[in-house]
Amino acid sequence: MLILKQLFFGLLLPAVVTGGILVFARSLTSKEDGENTGKKTDISRGWLIAGALSAGYIVGYFGLEGFSTLPFPPRQGIHWLCCLAIIGFIVGCFWHFSFSGRLIAQIVLSIAIPRLLLNSTFKYTWGQLEGIIWWVCLAAAIFIFWNLVQQSFTLLPSGASVPFVYFGLSGGTALVLALSGSLRLAQHSGILVALFAVSWIITIALQRDGNRQVFPPSVSPVVALLLAGLWMNGYFYEEVPAVSAILLAVSLLLAQVGQIEAIRRRGTRQSALIQIAAIALPVIIAIGIAVARSGLFAESSGY
Amino acid sequence: MKTDLGRTRQISHIGGLVLTLLIICFTGSIQLADAADTYEIDTAHSMILFRAKHMGITYNYGRFNEFTGKLMIDETDISKSMVEFEVKTASVDTANEKRDQHLRSSDFFSAKQFPVITFKSTKVSMKDGKEDMLEITGDLELLGVKKSITVDVEITGKGKGRQGEPLIGFESIFTIKRGEFGMTYGAGAVSDDIRLIVTIEAKGK
Repeated sequence: MLILKQLFFGLLLPAVVTGGILVFARSLTSKEDGENTGKKTDISRGWLIAGALSAGYIVGYFGLEGFSTLPFPPRQGIHWLCCLAIIGFIVGCFWHFSFSGRLIAQIVLSIAIPRLLLNSTFKYTWGQLEGIIWWVCLAAAIFIFWNLVQQSFTLLPSGASVPFVYFGLSGGTALVLALSGSLRLAQHSGILVALFAVSWIITIALQRDGNRQVFPPSVSPVVALLLAGLWMNGYFYEEVPAVSAILLAVSLLLAQVGQIEAIRRRGTRQSALIQIAAIALPVIIAIGIAVARSGLFAESSGY
Repeated sequence: MKTDLGRTRQISHIGGLVLTLLIICFTGSIQLADAADTYEIDTAHSMILFRAKHMGITYNYGRFNEFTGKLMIDETDISKSMVEFEVKTASVDTANEKRDQHLRSSDFFSAKQFPVITFKSTKVSMKDGKEDMLEITGDLELLGVKKSITVDVEITGKGKGRQGEPLIGFESIFTIKRGEFGMTYGAGAVSDDIRLIVTIEAKGK
């Protein structure tokens, strides 16, 4: 009964909410396409997709954690994930405004998020200098990762491959988190798995225009902030191995293999497969390391 | 010249008065400190146990191996007494390493985010006029949530240790709801009601 409840609130309900908004976005944009509204269509589509992912995650968050579990200011790292989904959506809504505005938002959030999410690590674990060094490194890492996410939307071939890659990445994250001792965080990553799975299915079923990006750039704040939040929670507050966390974070960098001329010449289908395989490789290694560290196959593995 | 001498005498009188007042205050504060005896928890002879029901079927017990605390007992006016505890969440021990790891994770105690559970009394009184029963109200902070709780505490014994140091023993059994502190994971599998059994031996300083 408990497992069924978790499956319903943590997977099915978020998928239904996100799927519903995505289908609505698709119908709206195809109607606007007919009226040739151009840039306006892309903007409304962008914030609708960002809203779909954000709303799906928030529904899943409250489904798993309960409605009374979002104190303000958030106390636990997990509480921040819900706030990151909201912040990501708000930033996504203004993503098309100007380059300088985007850059300022990225820099401010990259600096603020580690300080807010890792408040107790700053308080109890790190000294002043150590804290500053970690803060600078994490801010830089979030900024770089955010740009990698944004690039991956265009570097990966258009169509279903983008949601599929993120489906795999969040699935790998869920496995690594579960193996590292936090089933609660793994369930939160599971919400993302459901969201990307439904985006993937809807893209396969409904996308007519093969050249259109599935995730416009305005979706990057939601995706980047939620994944970064999960990894930071996993590494600093759970037992996620450092190598696994780094491999998950850099896996998107390998989307760049699609730029290599020899791979490009192999045609769209083959080059997409190579790109996906290249991204999957560090994710699989990250899972392998987490399995080895977890003692999953040791004699006294359960309790 | 005469005036200067008078002023010097006046200053030395004031100085003497201040010095006398300081001595009175200092000795007075020593007497006040004596009225409340300070004790430190002897962790070798103290225990913090907890129990939770698993799947609504059976009670599972665990303990915290590391904690510190301080008591100030004022026998003349018990309301001036004070109790402070600090329990290290990472020291949770249920005799199963896998389960302990899970309990340390953010599913339960979130030991890396909240390394300590604290308790600080706000009110100490005699329970029903009995000399060996106290009622202690205080703030329990778990997972960053501070809640006021009131517990009955039995004074289990008083005496002297091997080196003649004063000893005092307490025991308290009370129940908290983990959900009220934001520990909601695994509801159904692990009961919301957590019974705590705190048994303390404290040494006088």
